[in-house]
Amino acid sequence: MILYEKILSIYPSLTNADFSPFGGTILLQNDSDGRGDYIAKWEHPTLDKPTDEQLGAA
Amino acid sequence: MPLVLNGATSGSTTIQATDAVTQTITLPNNSGTVLTTASTFGGTGPAFSAYPNATLSISTNTSTKILFQTEEFDTNNNFASSTFTPTVAGYYQLSTLVGTTTVITSEAIIWIAKNGSVYKYLADPYASSIAMLGGSCLVYANGTTDYFEVYMTQYSGSTKTISSSNQVVWFQGAMVRSA
Repeated sequence: MILYEKILSIYPSLTNADFSPFGGTILLQNDSDGRGDYIAKWEHPTLDKPTDEQLGAA
Repeated sequence: MPLVLNGATSGSTTIQATDAVTQTITLPNNSGTVLTTASTFGGTGPAFSAYPNATLSISTNTSTKILFQTEEFDTNNNFASSTFTPTVAGYYQLSTLVGTTTVITSEAIIWIAKNGSVYKYLADPYASSIAMLGGSCLVYANGTTDYFEVYMTQYSGSTKTISSSNQVVWFQGAMVRSA
C-alpha cells in the first residue's frame, strides 16, 4: 500500500482537492532518491498529521 | 604591425590583424564591452539534454521528481543527478516532456522546480486520457547555487509508470542570455 492509500485508509474523507498543489493542505512528495514517498507538508485545518505508528498499522 | 594597448597598471591588450587579408571592422555608435570567442553569452553558454535510462513509478497524488540519467549532451558539465545547476549566471530556456506507459485518466501536473520549490507550472491537463505532458519556461540562474529539476503529479488513483523512451521523456536547457 502506498503512502497515499495509507493516509486515505486513516482519513477516508480526504479528496484530491486536499492533495492539490493549488490550495491543497497536504503535499506528498517523492524525490526519486530511494527514500520513497513522504509527507512534505501537512496543514489540514482539522485532521492531524498521521503518526508513524498509524501509517505503519495502515 | 599589431596595435598594443597597455593597461593602466599592468597587462596589455593586443589587436592583431591577419596577414595578407584586408578586413574592415566598423564599430557601432554606442558604448559597451567587446565580446570574444572566449566570452560566455547566449549561443555559447551551457546547454544540456537528458533522458531516462529506466522507467519510473509515480504514485497517485504524489509530487515526484522525474529522473533523466542519460545525457545526450552536457556542454559545461552542469547536469548531474537529474538536476541542472548552471555555473554561468544568466537566463536559460528549459523544456521538458514526460510520458507514461499507460494513460493517466484524470489530472496531471508538471512543473519546473527551482531550488526545491515550485518555480513554474508547465501544464495541468484534466482529461480522460493523458499520455504526455510538458512545457517550457525561461529561468534566471545565479551561476552558483540555483538548480532546476522536473516534478510531476498525477491524480489517476493508481500508480503510473513514466516511460524510459528518450523520445517521450526528456529535459533540455540552454543559455539564451548572459546575466
